[in-house]
Amino acid sequence: MSSVWLPCGDYHQNYVEDQGWWQSKFIKGKMILLLAIVFIGIPSLAVSPEGEYWVSVATMVGYTAMGALGVQLLIGFAGLLTLGHAAFIAVGAYTSTMLVLQFPWPQFIVDWGLAYPISIVAAGVAAGLWSVLFGLPSARVKGFYLILTTMGAQFITVDFVLTQYVSQIGGRGQAFSLPPGTIKIGPWVIESDVQIYYVMAVLLTLMVIVLANLIRSKPGRAWVAIRDNDIAAEALGINIVWYKLLSFFVAGFMAGVAGSFWVCNTAALSPEHFPWFLSLWLVGVILIGGVGSIQGAIFGSIFMVVIMELLQMAAIPIADYYPQVLFSFAYIKDMAFGLAICAFLIYEPNGLAYRWWQAKNYFNLWPFSY
Amino acid sequence: MNGSGIEVTKDLTIPKLFLSQCKRYGKNKVAMREKEFGIWIPFTWQDYYDNVKYLSLGMVSLGLKNGDKVSMIGDNRPEGLWAEIAAMCAGAIGVWLFQDCMMDEVKYIIDHSDTAFFVGETQEEVDKALSIKDECPKLKWIIWDDPKGMRNYHQDFLISIKKVQELGKELDQKEPDLFEKTINEGHGDDICLLFYTSGTTALPKGALLSHWNMLTMGKNLMAVDPCYDTDDFVSYLPFAWIGEQMMSISCGLQVGYTLNFPEEPDTAQQNIREVGPHVMFAPPRLYEGMTRQVQVKHMDATWIKRMIYNFATKVGYKVANLKFEKQPVPLHWKFLNWLAYITMQKKLKDHLGMSRLRYCYTGGAAMGPDHFRFFHALGVNLKQIYGQTEIGGISIVHRDGDVKFDTVGTAIPETEVKITEEGEIISKSPSVFQGYYKNEEATRKTLVDGWLYSGDRGFIDEDGHLVVFDRTKDVMTLNDGRPFAPQYLETRLKFSPFVQESWVIGDSREYVTTVMCIDYAVVGKWADDKKLNYTSYPELSQKTEVYDLIQKQIEEANKDLPGPAKIHKFVNLYKVFDADDEELTRTSKLRRAFVEKRYKDIVDALYVDVDLVHMDTTITYEDGREQRIKTDLHIRRVNV
Repeated sequence: MSSVWLPCGDYHQNYVEDQGWWQSKFIKGKMILLLAIVFIGIPSLAVSPEGEYWVSVATMVGYTAMGALGVQLLIGFAGLLTLGHAAFIAVGAYTSTMLVLQFPWPQFIVDWGLAYPISIVAAGVAAGLWSVLFGLPSARVKGFYLILTTMGAQFITVDFVLTQYVSQIGGRGQAFSLPPGTIKIGPWVIESDVQIYYVMAVLLTLMVIVLANLIRSKPGRAWVAIRDNDIAAEALGINIVWYKLLSFFVAGFMAGVAGSFWVCNTAALSPEHFPWFLSLWLVGVILIGGVGSIQGAIFGSIFMVVIMELLQMAAIPIADYYPQVLFSFAYIKDMAFGLAICAFLIYEPNGLAYRWWQAKNYFNLWPFSY
Repeated sequence: MNGSGIEVTKDLTIPKLFLSQCKRYGKNKVAMREKEFGIWIPFTWQDYYDNVKYLSLGMVSLGLKNGDKVSMIGDNRPEGLWAEIAAMCAGAIGVWLFQDCMMDEVKYIIDHSDTAFFVGETQEEVDKALSIKDECPKLKWIIWDDPKGMRNYHQDFLISIKKVQELGKELDQKEPDLFEKTINEGHGDDICLLFYTSGTTALPKGALLSHWNMLTMGKNLMAVDPCYDTDDFVSYLPFAWIGEQMMSISCGLQVGYTLNFPEEPDTAQQNIREVGPHVMFAPPRLYEGMTRQVQVKHMDATWIKRMIYNFATKVGYKVANLKFEKQPVPLHWKFLNWLAYITMQKKLKDHLGMSRLRYCYTGGAAMGPDHFRFFHALGVNLKQIYGQTEIGGISIVHRDGDVKFDTVGTAIPETEVKITEEGEIISKSPSVFQGYYKNEEATRKTLVDGWLYSGDRGFIDEDGHLVVFDRTKDVMTLNDGRPFAPQYLETRLKFSPFVQESWVIGDSREYVTTVMCIDYAVVGKWADDKKLNYTSYPELSQKTEVYDLIQKQIEEANKDLPGPAKIHKFVNLYKVFDADDEELTRTSKLRRAFVEKRYKDIVDALYVDVDLVHMDTTITYEDGREQRIKTDLHIRRVNV
């Protein structure tokens, strides 16, 4: 049965309709409104410096959501606990940077501004394969042990390979600087906040489309089956190793694209952008947003990023009285993160997505409560 | 004339109509859908045609002859309808059995109707047929369509519907014109269906209906309330009930609307909501169930939802009452009604699957004015139908905008209705049946000079509406001569969501009493909320708190009742009245004389000064098992 609430008289004669998107007029209108806000509403805020600041906040939300989608796929859909997602974002970011800065592109590719777009795809593939490599243990271990192997991915990739070797390429030391004008997509040089925002919006939309399509097709059903009971799934004839690795590849690919996007939002790339804390942060985002739902990853990103921004804004006036606040703001941020996770696990373990679902049901069940 | 452009003449038969509709719509239109595996699987008219054709020819090659009887049993599903039309196409006569028939009823009908072919759905129906096979020598073939559980059945008179259709294909290759030739030999006066009426007394009688009867009935109903071939209809009530035949075959074939079959009988309510039919015909019990469900959910809703519901129903009742009284609705009430519509009624109709409903009929038993008002207050065009199997199902119906809930409406075209001097309702129309099968005497009594004697009493009111009103059944008198109307009281009591059935007693007694059957689900939930422990229906029904609850419902009803009709005592029964125990007819009418005999102890105890009555009876389960029940029932006095 269709997973959305349909009005009376709206029924399906085949599975294509049954699994279709935007099944009712109301949902269609709602989604078009959402797209209009994302592509027209938010960028149009950028007329004032204040607005421009909020556009860049939205960009951060999008970046977090891109990472969180991959974590959502692994934890929420395939049931593979991961704490090393930042490693794959880093692989994507470094692949993209290396390709743009170091690769001997034919002149026409550079002229037409294709180097960066190509590097996005390459970054996805590289991060995906790297992720599959560290997904291999999942064939044997699960749960708590898998968390440790994925943390292994984090330390091997970021702290060892990237810091010790990749960062040394070209003799620059710690960071790769990305001079203005380096990142070009076609004729456009990506430099303003709005341009960066648009790159994010397009990539995030594509990612949501791809993930949503995967979830409602055969791989998605296989992942959910593995999550719910891997032994039963195997008994049903699902090749669980293959689908686990596929989920690692897809999650890694999305992380790679996210990392590649990060390149256009930063002036210099350093392994410090991808600490282990980022991996943890992304898991926190989906816990707060709601495990096992695409909206959850996005709700969680909005909540976390916006809360942090508001904290920061609150800290500035307070700093007049307690200057200490500014110096230890990083710790306050960590504390707020910890507090938010504790509060959500206690009061709403199903996350914001569940609250959203409840809100919709409140009206769907009108004038009853069940 | 009708939607198909085919005139109903004496020459037209159901198969001929079927053939021309199939040719007309072919692959371009969906004839029926069945919900399976979560989606509504469509069958086009071409699929319908192919399935019926091969099934029909298959049965012919197995030896089905003109005039043979084909019995069918099972839930509503495309295969059941195919079998029926296939039988008619071969010139045979269809007989439907209720799927919950007890073994002896099945045996009686199969034997009495001289059934040659038996079409069952699953192993369960096949088992029923197998156990009576030896006693019904005329039964030749048993056909089944669901292979579940059939692996180890190897009797040579058992055959699957698929196999029959393969035989049909073989025959079709040999004689390509046979199917249409047989159809064209048919005539409107041929018998097409043999209907066993679920009489409130004695053994069922088989009413013979011809093609002409069925088709004219459909035509005349459609003349009153036209339907269109784009409409949806949900077929979920037993085909053995004339009302379902009337909608699915007589009207369905003429109009060409799409029939939708639910996944399982249990999911019917939910499936109706998905489809959102344009027309609906159901016995009152179904509407009573819906009302009860709404009332219960309303009680459990949050405060703001309850307030809006209360507001909207108040407005709805007011507007509905104005319409019943045929008074114009003032502008401000119209506005309030619109507000009620957008805030509540629209959504509630959506929940009930009534958003697209144009006509909605009730028939088969009496429906209380409270329920009637409830649906009209929602803006649902609920109308009463009156008729009987012997007249093809319907002779009287309410017209749009002329609904009076104490009447059943006015006659459909080509139908005359009169009241005899004794007050009996008699009617005459092209749809009057051909007689009872193998029962000359009953036919003579029922059919006099083309007039059908219904056995019901009634009168025609000042607006020309027929009122079915039986002095012997509907009005009783206390021993001091004051009258009361038991059926009215019962429907009144049933408007409480906690009450599923009630039986009012008091004829030639000192005062009125009632036997109540609580609604297990609703009262059960109520008890859960109150943290009352119970393990079974009998236990729950005897709880003091439940008695208090029911007493409150009765006192509430007593307030509006005239003196003689006030209920003085009641008892909660340890079970719900059931057709399997013969307490109700298959169409859910209370068999008063029977229950009076069966629960004599209770009736007697209600009129002496005791608080407890001991019961010792047996109840029958659907599979025929019997269980002895010994229990004590409390008697509660109501403050009058």
